[in-house]
Amino acid sequence: MIEIKNIGIKFGGLQALDNVSFSVGKGEVVGLIGPNGAGKTTMMNIICGLYKPTEGTIDFEGTRITGLTSNKICHLGISRTYQIPQPFYAMTALGGVTVSVLNGKKRPNMCLSDAGLEASYYLEFVGLFAKRDELASNLNLYELRMLELARALATTPKLLLLDEVMAGLNPVESNRALDMIWSAQDQFGITLLWIEHVMKIIMNAAQRIVVLQYGKKIAEGPPAEIVKDPRIIEAYLGGKRK
Amino acid sequence: MVKFELKRDRILLRWGLEKLEWCIEPRYWRNPIIGVALLLILPLFFYSFPHLLTMLTTANLLACLAIPLSLQILGTARVNFGPQLYLGIGGYTAALLNLHFGWSPFFTLIATVIVCGSVALLLSPTTWIAKGLYFSLLTLILPLTFLDLTYQFGDLFRGEVGLFGMSPLLDLGRVRWNYMAYYYLSLFMMLLFILIADKIGRSRFGVTLAAINENEDVARMMGIDVSKYKVFYYVFPSILTGIVGWFIVHTFRSFAGITYLPLDYMLKVLIIVIIGGRAFVYGAVPGAYFVAIIEEVLRGFGHINQWVFPLVLIAMILILPRGEGLWGLYHKRHPRDYFPKLHVRRE
Repeated sequence: MIEIKNIGIKFGGLQALDNVSFSVGKGEVVGLIGPNGAGKTTMMNIICGLYKPTEGTIDFEGTRITGLTSNKICHLGISRTYQIPQPFYAMTALGGVTVSVLNGKKRPNMCLSDAGLEASYYLEFVGLFAKRDELASNLNLYELRMLELARALATTPKLLLLDEVMAGLNPVESNRALDMIWSAQDQFGITLLWIEHVMKIIMNAAQRIVVLQYGKKIAEGPPAEIVKDPRIIEAYLGGKRK
Repeated sequence: MVKFELKRDRILLRWGLEKLEWCIEPRYWRNPIIGVALLLILPLFFYSFPHLLTMLTTANLLACLAIPLSLQILGTARVNFGPQLYLGIGGYTAALLNLHFGWSPFFTLIATVIVCGSVALLLSPTTWIAKGLYFSLLTLILPLTFLDLTYQFGDLFRGEVGLFGMSPLLDLGRVRWNYMAYYYLSLFMMLLFILIADKIGRSRFGVTLAAINENEDVARMMGIDVSKYKVFYYVFPSILTGIVGWFIVHTFRSFAGITYLPLDYMLKVLIIVIIGGRAFVYGAVPGAYFVAIIEEVLRGFGHINQWVFPLVLIAMILILPRGEGLWGLYHKRHPRDYFPKLHVRRE
């Protein structure tokens, strides 16, 4: 579905990503893990078109998306959530989702009330319908993450990029969030590329894991192999003293 | 082919894939109708006080400047300090074409729209490049540059004295009738501007506007073509502002850069936006009337005016509800109510 080839990006003298290539198949759940500062979120920003890579290409369903603007990439069917939730704080939950319903793909004949109705469906899906008229600035972290999920789903994506959805949630909330993501994948038939620091969840959830360290891909494979790989244990916990 | 449907509370117009809705339920229209009726009747009492009529006309024109400005500030998500640049460009285009080539007001209007639109289109990439304070500084400096130009090319623009003797928009024969006619014309222009801004604000584009105003990058990620919207919301209000310049030229029949281009005129317009209410465009009307009346009342005090005027305005900004302004006094709604709502009936 998405083919990432030899992506590299430089911020001044810092090589944030260097020659990273991997691919995600249709319907797959791929985890992207790595220590802090490994370049995971940078990867996501490049896929979304926020940064332009200095080298390499990304193809999404046969379309070259490197160099396209974020809104065009969104129209092709890639949507994302943010590590730090970035809702429209002065807008209601319903208003925020309505924006994505109206603009996520071309909907020339959709009036505002129709869009609100459709947005309410996504809000109900993530369990925020009761809070539809609440301003986003009054929602708590779990609700904000769910709002982001609803907003991302409302653009009708084929590929959803999740950026640390579980960060800062307690076990009950993260279980609920996990259920939500599974049912989203079932109902909407989306592919997931998932950055996560909570190993317990990502190891159970993902079919394939890509590991980044210092901007380089150090391993790729099913979770069972990844947890045993000495390079990854070294990256996360440090190597033995020689 | 346009199809026409009459529903219980609204009129629907459909053509192709497009549709236009117009709400006709009286409870939504009662208060606006009362307000408009007041504005229509009010000048009849001032028939024998031409200076008060001029004051009201000025208030209408100030509101005509403040409405596009608030639309522009919302749509480009940047504070614009230079709306009067397009007032100057529009005014000078109309005045010079009328004086030197004898174009009638109708043709100068077309020329004004074209010139303002193309200048705004040329300058619109600044909304992509310049961010935050830099954009404000850029817009602040442009009218002053234009003011300097009117001095530099004094033979053409007559920056200090001003241009006068342009042909009037309409002449009813008597001076007082003319004052009355100009009041009504400016009122209709203001109502037209409000209608346009209101239609934008209540449609699907209004929600998109709010999203761009909140966070550009996220809005782009949600699939909004932010650059396109910004160009539109820069160019379109600029054209509206230019039309106000055209109107001033053909009604007051004099136009000077020194009156409209300096900072204090811009401050007046910005203050109207702030004390009228930033949340929605209707605030421009009470704001403009308030500023015009205060200015007229304080004119008698002579020099003290320069002190009292700012003090009153600062007091107003402090006293009025935050961000809602004078409009908020009438319209005690929570900000969330500006967004579409879904009502669920519980048995």
